[in-house]
Amino acid sequence: MMPAASQPAPAPGIAERLTALFWRRPGLLLALLLAPPLLWLGIVYVGSLIALLWQSFYSIDPFSGVVVREFTLKTYGELLLPQNYDIILRTVTMAAAVTLASAVLAFPIAFYAARFAKGRWKAVFYLGVMLPLWSSYLVKVYAWKLILAKEGIVTWAANGIGAGSVLDAILSIPVIGGNSLSTSFIGTFIVFVYVWLPYMILPMQASLERVPKSMLEASADLGAGGLRTLWSVTLPLALPGIIAGSIFTFSLTLGDYIIPQIIGNSANFIGMAVYSLQGTAGNIPLAAAFAVIPILIMLVYLAIARRLGAFDAL
Amino acid sequence: MKKILISTTMLAFAASNAAVAQMTAVGDGEGELSIVAWPGYIERGETDKAFDWVTKFEEATGCKVSIKTANTSDEMVALMNEGGFDLVTASGDASLRLVAGGRVQAVNTDLIPSWSKVDERLQNAPWYTVDGTHYGVPYQWGPNVLMYNTKVFPEAPKSWSVVFEEQTLPDGQSNKGRVQAYDGPIHIADAAQYLMAHKPELGITSPYELNEDQYKAALDLLRQQRELVGRYWHDAFIQIDDFKNEGVVASGSWPFQVGLLAGEGQPVASTIPEEGATGWADTTMLAADAKHPNCAYKWMEHTLSSNLQSDLSVWFGSVPVTPASCTDGSGMQTAEGCTANGLDDFDKIRFWQTPVANCSQGEGACVPYYRWVSDYIGVIGGR
Amino acid sequence: MPAAVEFRSVSRHFGAVKAVDSVDLTIAEGSFFAMLGPSGSGKTTCLRLISGFESPTAGEIRIFGEDSGAVPPNRRNVNTVFQDYALFPHMNVRDNVAYGLMVKGVGRAARHAKAEELLALVHLDGFGDRKPAQLSGGQRQRVALARALVNEPKVLLLDEPLGALDLKLREAMQDELKSLQQRLGITFVFVTHDQGEALSMADRVAVFAEGRVAQVGTPGEIYEQPANRFVADFVGSSNVLPPEQTQRFGGPARWASLRPEAIRLERGQGGTVRGRVTGLRYLGAATRVTLDCGGHELAAQIPAGIAVPAVGEEVGLGWQVQSLHLMEKA
Repeated sequence: MMPAASQPAPAPGIAERLTALFWRRPGLLLALLLAPPLLWLGIVYVGSLIALLWQSFYSIDPFSGVVVREFTLKTYGELLLPQNYDIILRTVTMAAAVTLASAVLAFPIAFYAARFAKGRWKAVFYLGVMLPLWSSYLVKVYAWKLILAKEGIVTWAANGIGAGSVLDAILSIPVIGGNSLSTSFIGTFIVFVYVWLPYMILPMQASLERVPKSMLEASADLGAGGLRTLWSVTLPLALPGIIAGSIFTFSLTLGDYIIPQIIGNSANFIGMAVYSLQGTAGNIPLAAAFAVIPILIMLVYLAIARRLGAFDAL
Repeated sequence: MKKILISTTMLAFAASNAAVAQMTAVGDGEGELSIVAWPGYIERGETDKAFDWVTKFEEATGCKVSIKTANTSDEMVALMNEGGFDLVTASGDASLRLVAGGRVQAVNTDLIPSWSKVDERLQNAPWYTVDGTHYGVPYQWGPNVLMYNTKVFPEAPKSWSVVFEEQTLPDGQSNKGRVQAYDGPIHIADAAQYLMAHKPELGITSPYELNEDQYKAALDLLRQQRELVGRYWHDAFIQIDDFKNEGVVASGSWPFQVGLLAGEGQPVASTIPEEGATGWADTTMLAADAKHPNCAYKWMEHTLSSNLQSDLSVWFGSVPVTPASCTDGSGMQTAEGCTANGLDDFDKIRFWQTPVANCSQGEGACVPYYRWVSDYIGVIGGR
Repeated sequence: MPAAVEFRSVSRHFGAVKAVDSVDLTIAEGSFFAMLGPSGSGKTTCLRLISGFESPTAGEIRIFGEDSGAVPPNRRNVNTVFQDYALFPHMNVRDNVAYGLMVKGVGRAARHAKAEELLALVHLDGFGDRKPAQLSGGQRQRVALARALVNEPKVLLLDEPLGALDLKLREAMQDELKSLQQRLGITFVFVTHDQGEALSMADRVAVFAEGRVAQVGTPGEIYEQPANRFVADFVGSSNVLPPEQTQRFGGPARWASLRPEAIRLERGQGGTVRGRVTGLRYLGAATRVTLDCGGHELAAQIPAGIAVPAVGEEVGLGWQVQSLHLMEKA
C-alpha cells in the first residue's frame, strides 16, 4: 500500500488533457479528423489518376505488343488515327446532344416542381423522378432494348397508329438511323437521356427553387412578359443548377460503356474503347490516353462554365 | 499487367523454366482445391441437381473444391496473375499467354491414367503444348457455329456468305440489317477463314496468322459486313434477345445460344458451313505456384472421367475430349448429341489462338493482336 | 381629374382568410400615401392588388380612372420597390436599373445613359459596374428605387422600403424619399408598419386593421383624432379610455383617447385625477411614466428637463380639455 503522504495530486486523465489540447489548437483536431479521408483520397484517387496519366505516356511496341516503359507522346498521336478520332468525336457529340436534350426536357419538369407543385404533388414529383434511380441500371437498359427493338413496343405502337412510315423515315436518316431504334444512335440517345435525366432535373429544380419569387415579380413589374423573364432572370439564376446537371449528364455519358454496348450499332464510345483496349488488347497506354480525354474535356467544360458564371452563386 | 502478346523467345524461356518443376508422383490430397473456370463449366448440382461432378470428387479425394468464375479470357489471365489458384480452364486465346507468363507449370501426363482416352487430335494440340511439353489437360471444345432462323432458311445455309455479302435470303428479302457478327477482334479470323475459301490467291494458311495484305483483305470484307450488321453481339443473352426481338436471322454463334433458343421453341438451328468454322478448345491448366498440386492432379484425372465429359457436353453444348463419352452411355450424352455439338467437325474448326507478330510466315511477318483490336474498333465505327 | 388609384369595395380572400375585406380608398395623384398597419393587416396585399400580383376577389381597382382588373402586372404603369429589393444578382447595377428599358427594347446606349441619370438621382454615380452583392443595404435600396423609376411610372409602390435599414440610414432615406417624391411629382404609395415613418413622410395615411381600413386621413388627423381604439393605440400608443373612465376624467360617457405627452404631472395635492407612479422608462428626449389611476393604467410622457417623480409617489394628473379626444367608434 502506498503511504498517503507521497500520493501526488491526481494528474488530469489522458482524455481531459487531449480535450484541452484540442481546445487550444483547433487546427490539430481538424487535421486529425481530415487526415484519413484525405490520405484515402490522395492515394486512391489522385494516385490512380497519376498512374493513369503515367501509363498514357508509355507506348506499345508494335512488333511484340509489349508495353515500352519509356516516355513518349506516340500514344497520344494514335488518338488522332481516324478510327480513334471517330470515337472521341462520336462520344462528345453524343454527350453534348444528351446534355442538351436533358436540359430541354428537364426544365419544364423542374420548373413545374419548383414553382407550382405543392404538398402531395411535390411528393409525386420526387417519387416520379427518383423512382427510375432505384431500379438497377442494367435492368432499365435491357427493358429499353425490348421497348426499342424492331419487334418491340415502339414499332408496334407506331404501326398501330399508322405512323410506321414515320418511324421508318426517321430510321432511314443516315448515320443516326439504323435497322431499328435499338440498333441506331437514336436509340442510344433516347436511353442515355432517359437514364441521366434525373441527374439533370434534381439540381435544376433545386436551383429554380432558390430563385426568389420577388425577382420574378420584379421582372414582371418592370414590364417583362413571361418569356422575357424566363430568359433574362429565371434562366441566368438557375444556371448553376443547369450547369451542375449538365456536368452530370455530360460526364456520365462520356464515361458510360454499357448503354452503347447494348443499345446502338456497336460503334465504340470512349468507355467501350477503354474497356476493350485495357481488357482484350492489353494496350494499357492507349486505354489510358483514351481515359484522359474525358478528363480533359470536363476540365475545358468546367472552365467554360466558370466563365459563364455558373459558380458565381457557390 | 497482362502480357497478352508474346515473342517466341519468351515462350521458349518460360517453357524450359517451368519444365523443371514438373511433378513425378501424385501423393495424398491437401484437402483443398481452387479453380478459375468459365461460368457453367464446373457444376456441383446447385443450378440443376442432375449436373453435379464435384460432390463425388470431394467425397472420394477429400479435396474441397472452391470455384472462381471468370467471364472472359482476360479475366482468367488477370486472376491467374494475381495468384492463389490451383487450376484454370483456359481457352486457346489465353492458354499460351499463361504459359509465356510463367503462370502455369508443365503437367506430367504419365500421372494421369485417363490421358490415353483423350482424343488423339487434341493430345498434342498447339494451344497448350510447347516443344512437346504439355501445360494442362484438355477439358472441352466446341465450334463457333452459324446460327440461323429455320423459317427464313428452310435448308441450312451452305456458306458464311450470308453474313459477309449482301444477298437475298430464301424468304425474298435482303440480309441487310438481319445478320450479326461477334463484337470481338477475334472475329477478324472468321473473315480470314472465309477468304481462305473464296480468295485462295491471298495464300492464307491460318486465320490467326495474317500478313499485312491478308489482314487488309480481311478488314475490307469486314467493312462490307458492317453495312449488313445492325448491331454486333457481345453478350450471349443479348444475342438471344436479338434473335427473338430484333429480326436477326443469321449470325456466328455458340452452341450455347442455339441450345437455349431451341429450348424455348424458337425456330433456330445451327450449322458449320463449307468454309469451316473457328472454335474454342479449353484446357485445365495447373498454376505454377499451385498450393494443392496433388488435389489438382486428382481433379485433372477426374475431369477426363467419361461421365463428367458426357454430362458437361450436354450441359454446356460442347464436345467431350474423350470421344468414348459420346457412345459409352456413361452420362447423358449420345452420339447424335456429340455430332450436333460438332464432334465430326474437328477438322473444319480452326481453334482460337492469340495472333502474334512472329508467326509461321516469319519473324514479325504477321499482324499482332493489339492491331486487330484497334482496327476492329475502326471497322465497327464505320472506318 | 380621376384619382391615381381608387379601391371600390375591394376584397381579396384566400379561402376563409379575408386578407383584404371590402376596402374603399382613394389615392390622389401626386400624393405621398402611406398604408400603415401591423403585419397581417392587409396593407401589403393592397399594394400587390395595385401592382397586379394579386387580383381582387370582389370589387374593382381603378388606376387613373381605368379598371385594372384584366391588366397583367407587366402592362401596368406602376412600379414597385420590393421589400427585399429583388435586385437581379447576375446583372450589374447599371443593367439592373436599365432592365425596364431593355424590356421595352430601348437601345443599349440610350438605356445606359438613362440608367446613369437615375443613378445620379439616387446619389450612386459611378456604381454602375458593381454587382448588387458588392453594395451596402442602403445602396441596394437606392438601386431598387432607381430601377423602379426608370420606366417613369405614374405610381410608385414601395413595400416596407426602409425596413431593412438601420435607424440612422432610415431617417436619411426618409428625407430623401420625401424630397424625391416632391421633385418628381409622381404618386408614391408606401407600405409600412412603422407609424413614425408613416406620419413623418406621408401626405395621407390609411391605417389598416384585419383587412379593413380603420381610418384614412392626414398624419395630424390620424395622430390627434384617432377614429377608434385601434388607431389610437397603434398610432403613438395613446391612452385609450373606456366610456366610464372618460366620465371620471370629466368627459361624456364615450370612448376617448388621451396622448401621453398631453398629460401633465403635478406633485402635491392638485390635479384632475390622482395616480400613483408604477414605472419609469427613460427615452432620452423624454421619460415615459406609467401610472395607476384607481385601477386604470395610464401612460404619461415628461419632456427632458422637467423633474421626474419617483416610483410609488402619488401625483396629480392634468390636461387641457381639448386633449381628451372623443372617438366615434369603439
